[in-house]
Amino acid sequence: MKDLVISQKRLKSELFIWTFSFAIAFLLNIYAILKYNNSWLELLTQLHIVLILSLVIYFIFVLIRLLFWPTKFLKNNGPKS
Amino acid sequence: MEESFLISRREFLKKISVIAGSTVALASMPWMKVFNEKVYAKSVNDKVRLGFIGIGDRGSALLKNVQVFEKILNVEIAAICDNYEPNYQRAIKFTNGKAKPFYDYRELLALKDLDGVIIATPLTEHCHITLDALDAGLSVFCEKSMARTLDDSKRMYDEHLRTKRILQIGHQRVFSPIYLEAIEKINKGEIGQITHMRGYWHRNGDWRRPVPKGHPELDRVINWRLYNDLSAGLFTELLSHQLQVANWIKQSFPTSVIANGSLIYWKKNREVYDHIACLFSYPDQSQFMYDSINSNKHYGCEEQIIGSKGTMELELNKVYSENPPAPPAILKLINDMEKDVFDTIPIGGASWVPETAVVDKGNYITNNYKMDETKLQLEAFVRYIRNGQAPEELPIQGYYSTVWSLLAEESAKTKERVTLMDKYRI
Repeated sequence: MKDLVISQKRLKSELFIWTFSFAIAFLLNIYAILKYNNSWLELLTQLHIVLILSLVIYFIFVLIRLLFWPTKFLKNNGPKS
Repeated sequence: MEESFLISRREFLKKISVIAGSTVALASMPWMKVFNEKVYAKSVNDKVRLGFIGIGDRGSALLKNVQVFEKILNVEIAAICDNYEPNYQRAIKFTNGKAKPFYDYRELLALKDLDGVIIATPLTEHCHITLDALDAGLSVFCEKSMARTLDDSKRMYDEHLRTKRILQIGHQRVFSPIYLEAIEKINKGEIGQITHMRGYWHRNGDWRRPVPKGHPELDRVINWRLYNDLSAGLFTELLSHQLQVANWIKQSFPTSVIANGSLIYWKKNREVYDHIACLFSYPDQSQFMYDSINSNKHYGCEEQIIGSKGTMELELNKVYSENPPAPPAILKLINDMEKDVFDTIPIGGASWVPETAVVDKGNYITNNYKMDETKLQLEAFVRYIRNGQAPEELPIQGYYSTVWSLLAEESAKTKERVTLMDKYRI
């Protein structure tokens, strides 16, 4: 079986996208606490929900990137004029 | 079986010692104090000898419950009695022939060294057997309801006072860990002022038990619940249980009742109503609404205690707050976003939103519900016998739940609001 090699560059970019997703989820929690007047303690107590939400957002990004992948692939590997 | 009984009992007794230390809690459930007492008039080394009169379905269940703690509490099932041959034989089998069998309860009462009797006969037999047992100097545990008539119920209570013997009526919910915890929470004001109560017991069945072929004369013996002269049907068999709970919760008794009854589904070979609805009023002007039916079991059995700050559903062991804690903001936001995306946009239509029930899973009233209340009430009976006395609140609860169940029947028959006559007050 062939080893799957993830380049450092790819790893960094994926980590960056997930951190970005986590930040969005965290900000959404802050917005929700302000909107519904809930306790600020929820910034800590609801971290598990924020984490799950960040993964959902991350996978949405993955889907979007997959949609653009054929175009990018063709652009890089298509017939050269 | 004995081991699991001991484990759950130990947990329960811990709880009881807390109750026994609280004056407020003890005032609502004085019958529980006996579980915390260490000194008895009759030594624990002396056997408590019991006789069972009536070993039908309920009598058998009571007998088996006593057998669980027979050795632990030093109890002896000394005698059994039933005048119906299959029950008589079954009782001998249950006790492995160790208990003395009788067809006539008077012979059982004449036994020497008997401490108490447990009566689980048809309703119309309760009064005269109880009177004879009390006269014989025995303590009596009698299944609910007390009697078929107001006069008989009063005679039983008066005889208990005259003979100064223990009279306990089988309302097992007063020993239920769920109900005890609920009363404690109510006393602490957790559901606010109790302004209303609802109760129901819905079954789908004709209540008829099989009669041996070729013996139609046994129908009234076996299916006594279905005949007006032998039973008040749903009033004495089901309502009395839940009315006792309502009285206990309110710490008072009704002032009037208005009820209705109908025989609309199981019309064949049945005299008692198969549907009843009652409305009891209490001194503080709150109401207890009750219905019991035999044609649908969807809603089952429940007592709902409705307060200004919360609601309790006792059979489900649940308590709901009027202001449940808000869900986490992030979940609420996601929910709202989902609604915005997927909900249809109304164009015209109704200008109001129906006030449907609040969707809230609530909390459990107690997690300590493993201890079976039927066993506890029988254990309490044994302890009362050892003590030589029982709290007067127990027969009073039993008396008034029977009396008001019978008054509800009277209201359904006369189509009038009924109050309690002074001569039946105790």
